[in-house]
Order: sequence, then C-alpha cells, then structure tokens
Amino acid sequence: MIIPVRCFTCGKVISDVYEDYKKRYEDYKKAISAGEKPKETPKQILDNLGLDRYCCRRMVLTHVDLIGEAAPYE
Amino acid sequence: MKVDVKELKPKKAIIQIEDIKPYFVNALRRIMISELPKLAVNEVVIYDNTSALFDEIISHRLGLVPIPTDLSLLLFKNECVCKGKGCPNCTVRYTLSKEGEGSVYSGDLLPAEKSWAIKEDKIPIVELYGDQRLILEVEAVLGRGRDHAKWQAIQAPAYRMEPIIEFDKTKLDDVKEFITKLPENLVSIKGNKLVLKDVTKLPIIESYISKENIDYITIERDPTKFLFHFETDGSFTAKDAILESVNILQKKYEELGKLLKNLK
Repeated sequence: MIIPVRCFTCGKVISDVYEDYKKRYEDYKKAISAGEKPKETPKQILDNLGLDRYCCRRMVLTHVDLIGEAAPYE
Repeated sequence: MKVDVKELKPKKAIIQIEDIKPYFVNALRRIMISELPKLAVNEVVIYDNTSALFDEIISHRLGLVPIPTDLSLLLFKNECVCKGKGCPNCTVRYTLSKEGEGSVYSGDLLPAEKSWAIKEDKIPIVELYGDQRLILEVEAVLGRGRDHAKWQAIQAPAYRMEPIIEFDKTKLDDVKEFITKLPENLVSIKGNKLVLKDVTKLPIIESYISKENIDYITIERDPTKFLFHFETDGSFTAKDAILESVNILQKKYEELGKLLKNLK
C-alpha cells in the first residue's frame, strides 16, 4: 500500500528515504535500458541513504507501492 | 573503566567501553530500550478523512513519527500537576489540515508552539488524490518503550565483545599460508595472535576457518572489552540519549539504596 513508517524489525525510520530511493532507482533503470553506465547501483543508493542493516534494506527494496491504485476509492 | 568514543553523529554513536563486565553494559542497553521516555502521538481526533487509508491506519502512522523531545520541559501525563487532564506541561498538540492532490508529510503537522516543530518532516502519512481531504488534531505525550514501541527512542542498541584470535605458535608457517587466502588487509600477525583491522569483519575470518577446516586457530571473546553501538530515531541526539539513559540507571540505583537503608 504505502511505505511503512519504520522498519518492522529494528524500528529505524525508513519511509523518509523511500521517495528518494525510487527516483534514483528510476535513473539507474533508465541508464541500464539505454545501455549506458549507471551513475550508481541500487547497492550504492541504499548505502548512501544510510540503510546499513539488511532488515531496513529489505523494507525499501521489497515494497510494492499500491496507494495510487486504491486512491480513487474513499 | 575506560571509555573511548569511536563515532558520534547526531543520530548514531559507537562507544568502546573497557574494564567492565557484560551485565553492566547490558543494564544500560535495556534502560535504553524500555525506560528512556520520549514523546509520541497518543490521541488523534479526526475531523475529516476522505483519503484512501482508514482512520486507524493514519493514526498508527502518526504514532510512529518521531517527535523531538526535551525531557527538562515535560512531565508524564499521570504524574503532572493537571492530574491527567492534559496541560502544556505534559502534552504537545499538533494540527494537520490538507486538501487536494499531493502527499501529506509529517512536516505538515503544525505545533502550537514553534519549538516543538517536527524535524523528521519527510515521512509520508498518506497520499491525496482529486479533492480528498484530511483534517485532524493530535496530542503527543511522554511514554516508555516498555509500554509501546512508538515510545522507544533508541533503535538497535547492541554491544560486541572484542575477539581474541590466537594460534598455535609451532604452526606459524601454516598461519602465514592461511592469511594469503584471506582478503587483503583483513588481519595482521602480532606474536601468537591475529589482529583484525576492523572488528566487524570477524565473520569473514570465521567463515574461512570453517571452510578450510583449520584447528590451530581459536577465536575467543574478551568479556571486559565492548564495542557498544546504537541509533536514535530522531527524538533525541545520540549524545542526549546516552546521557539521559545513564541518569535513569543512576536514579534507579539511588532509589534502591535509599530503600535498603531502612533494613535492620
């Protein structure tokens, strides 16, 4: 649905970096599909955003953002 | 006791503590998890919510937003002079009202007084589409981590004991050969000990030892040397958090001492 506020396991606030991650990941994907060398890999993005533990990393990596699909229904 | 601050960032700290027993560091760790008070949203009044998320989900998300806490200005609600009714000494109020397309962020929570403004202002609460509306009022109070995880100010406090890696002196040549197989700059030889450049890389050498079936290297842990690390969620700085936790532990021992004085 919408990104959880905190990491389920350790409680670190992770939702504030999700939008940033999404944007930078799109850039990475665009570069890959255009056959260019990407500026940064997903690993480097996660490290740069301060997600050190694998519990926090999976929160961002595996999230499916579906709020846009549910939004028209009140 | 010796203390050496290895790293001190606003929200993260690594501290080395020496000449001490595990129970003492563990007491501090447990105080940090369950006793250190912090502010969190405890009551939400929703006036209008036409967004895609239920009132309950929005309330839950608001509860998890870290609120900067100054413990010198606040009292617990049930111990306050207002006797639990709620007054500026024990509660902090915020209002939120947003309409129309766009995300609602934690920064949209407006405090009655500017000094309580939320610093983690980029947390998405809900996304609004079309002419959807969200109008609410919240009340934040002090609480402790033992009552609810939203009142836990410190995340992942933990300590590791310093490893001692020893080897059989008669097998020095074998050890030298073994080190060539390891990643570069991982360990160096000092007498009959191997010294790690970075203590957090211990699992790497452990995996190599089990892979190569080596029995002349033993790994033990020194129960007097600790690397203690923790993070805060943003309601305190790391420095304030550890000082406050130590204060709480000290007060508990003082109270125990006072009560024991009455023994005959």
